[in-house]
Amino acid sequence: MTIVDSLIALIAVIGTLIVAFVVSVWLPGVERKFIHARIQQRIGPPISTPGLMSPIKFFFKEIIKPNSPMPRLYNSLPLIGIIITIFLLIIIMPQLYPLAAFSSVIALVGLLKIEEILYMFMGSLSKSVLSLNMPFPDVVKGAKHPDVPRSFVEELSSMRAFRLIAFGSFPIYLAIFVPVAMAGSIFLGDIVAYQQFNGPVLFSLAGILGAVVYFIGFMILLNEYPFSILKTKADVIEGPLLEYASKSRAYVYISRGILMFVLACIFSTLFLGLPPNILSWTILLNILVALIFTILMAILSAFSPIFTFKQFYPVVTGVSILGILAIMVSFL
Amino acid sequence: MDEDNKITLGNSKKQVIETEVPMGTVHSAAIEPYRIRLFVEDEVVKDAEITIGVNHRGVERIMEGLPVEKANSLTEKICGICSNSHIWNSVLVAEKALGIEVPERAQNIRIITEELERLHSHLLYLAHGNEVLGHETFSMRLFYIRETVMELLRMIGGNRVQYGVPIIGGVRPRAELNQMKIQKIQEGMNLLEEKISDFAERFVSDPMIMSRITGVGTLKKEDALRLATSGPTLRATGVAVDIRRDMKEYDPFEFDVITQDDGDVKSNLLVRVLENLESIKIIRQAVNHLPEGKITNRSWDMQDTPITKSYIEVPRGKLYHSYALEEGRVRHSIVRTPSIANIGAMQYACIGSHITDAQLAVVQCDPCFTCTDRAIQIIQL
Repeated sequence: MTIVDSLIALIAVIGTLIVAFVVSVWLPGVERKFIHARIQQRIGPPISTPGLMSPIKFFFKEIIKPNSPMPRLYNSLPLIGIIITIFLLIIIMPQLYPLAAFSSVIALVGLLKIEEILYMFMGSLSKSVLSLNMPFPDVVKGAKHPDVPRSFVEELSSMRAFRLIAFGSFPIYLAIFVPVAMAGSIFLGDIVAYQQFNGPVLFSLAGILGAVVYFIGFMILLNEYPFSILKTKADVIEGPLLEYASKSRAYVYISRGILMFVLACIFSTLFLGLPPNILSWTILLNILVALIFTILMAILSAFSPIFTFKQFYPVVTGVSILGILAIMVSFL
Repeated sequence: MDEDNKITLGNSKKQVIETEVPMGTVHSAAIEPYRIRLFVEDEVVKDAEITIGVNHRGVERIMEGLPVEKANSLTEKICGICSNSHIWNSVLVAEKALGIEVPERAQNIRIITEELERLHSHLLYLAHGNEVLGHETFSMRLFYIRETVMELLRMIGGNRVQYGVPIIGGVRPRAELNQMKIQKIQEGMNLLEEKISDFAERFVSDPMIMSRITGVGTLKKEDALRLATSGPTLRATGVAVDIRRDMKEYDPFEFDVITQDDGDVKSNLLVRVLENLESIKIIRQAVNHLPEGKITNRSWDMQDTPITKSYIEVPRGKLYHSYALEEGRVRHSIVRTPSIANIGAMQYACIGSHITDAQLAVVQCDPCFTCTDRAIQIIQL
């Protein structure tokens, strides 16, 4: 690879990242304004508000120290989340394929796992005023169970994040391995090359099943209704994100938008053989896939109540079985 | 509910509890300030304790010594949802004590207002219940359905909240129903019946919602009776008790007492949905057979009376008002709202549920804590 080639690759990576950022700030707005608000017969927010204007507003808000035992670490976690998401996008770009070790499904899964683990840390480091710190004279003579250890509502989120890491993310990882099984390689370059010769994985039975499983996994990873037990309104509210304010809250919003786009790009790469690349017109298809995923997710979430684990376990088990079936079919 | 998770009432301290999750008094999941301590093991609630007492406004204390007419209008401020119920019951106390006959036309207008209020309260309950379930679309649609009721109430009383319809001896002159208003109410009832029936059909045929609400927050009939539960929360356990059956004001109207058997969130929601249809039935009868004549009886004299009590059926259950009259002024006023009787049920319904369902178990009993805070105890910290 010459210096010119490296320079072009670097420009392509930066250009793709800029496109990702520009698209991702509009996706939450599309979800809220065009789908949720339409279905719920209300005007909804301006399309730029959820993904763009809210983060800008929060950047200029007063910096409030969160109620956390390690406030700096807690505040830095959303930024780490954004960095991991950017890495996720970089490793699926074709310019990185020569560095095989970095652009493999193993790296993909590893980074996604770190993204999930962040929620666990966020939950355990958030100590909101809504629960334990609210002074109230209820531990008095006559109160029920006066000597019971107390916990914060966010700790529940942390425990739920742990459970999600254990079983909730099965669907997306199983779906990721469908193209791997079909291409017979864990390297993204090989998977894309396989699809250029044999057609997209999506156009096979295993691919269709895998796509359905991937979509459910996509929703679980984004903590979208009905899979938002991590931050359900009924008890833990925002869950691990509860104490984020000002810049940290802005990072949370940005992180979610980018993750929506990146997960859609991972799907395009693995199931359509179209990695995100600013130097190719196919980046428009990546954007289209991101848009379709956002719209489908918004429609499904608008008509669903939040699942508790009672509903969550059977759904994840069923979808995981479908994922295993997809992998088995892909071997045929 | 799992039988093992049930705790015998009065024996709760013998249980070994893993963790307590305290929520409130200010918590964004709760629409009113109250404190709930959930004692959990692996996210399953083993016991619960609800504490209220931060909303005390001392309405009864302010009522003491006020002229009865002023005191009556003050009771309307107790609740933003069932404001008419309070003023109606307070007015009934005075009418009962002074032996005042209310014209039939005024009785019908009072019934129409009260049943419209029941409709708006139940629709608000259903909307909030769906919000807690996480189903924002249904919640929004129910708020839209409720708008029809709110507009009718505004037409009758002049306000969307606190309509001030009943006065001693009848109803306020502005609450008089002319032909145009009657027609609007009739049209509104047709629209509401259609929309509520559509909603009910959609609601019960949604498997995800049914999975979330069936068997959650169960309260058995015997427990409900032991806890002195009141109103639709009691009727959702299969007990057909409705004070409207015993109120002379409701004698001319035909309606069914709605009950469900399971005592869970599903039963509670369905009782309210079906009660809405009964309210529509009552309003139609009241409007179609609205007697001619005056709407206020002015021929009564003020006199001193002993403490007089009145119970009526309001959207949340049994409402109690009592006071004595002395030189036209109120003495020894007491108000007891239905939610005070249902707090025990709320605590009990949480037990055995997943912690995410605990809020739903509380909400299923339709709490109105702000109205329930009728007394305080000041503790020196």
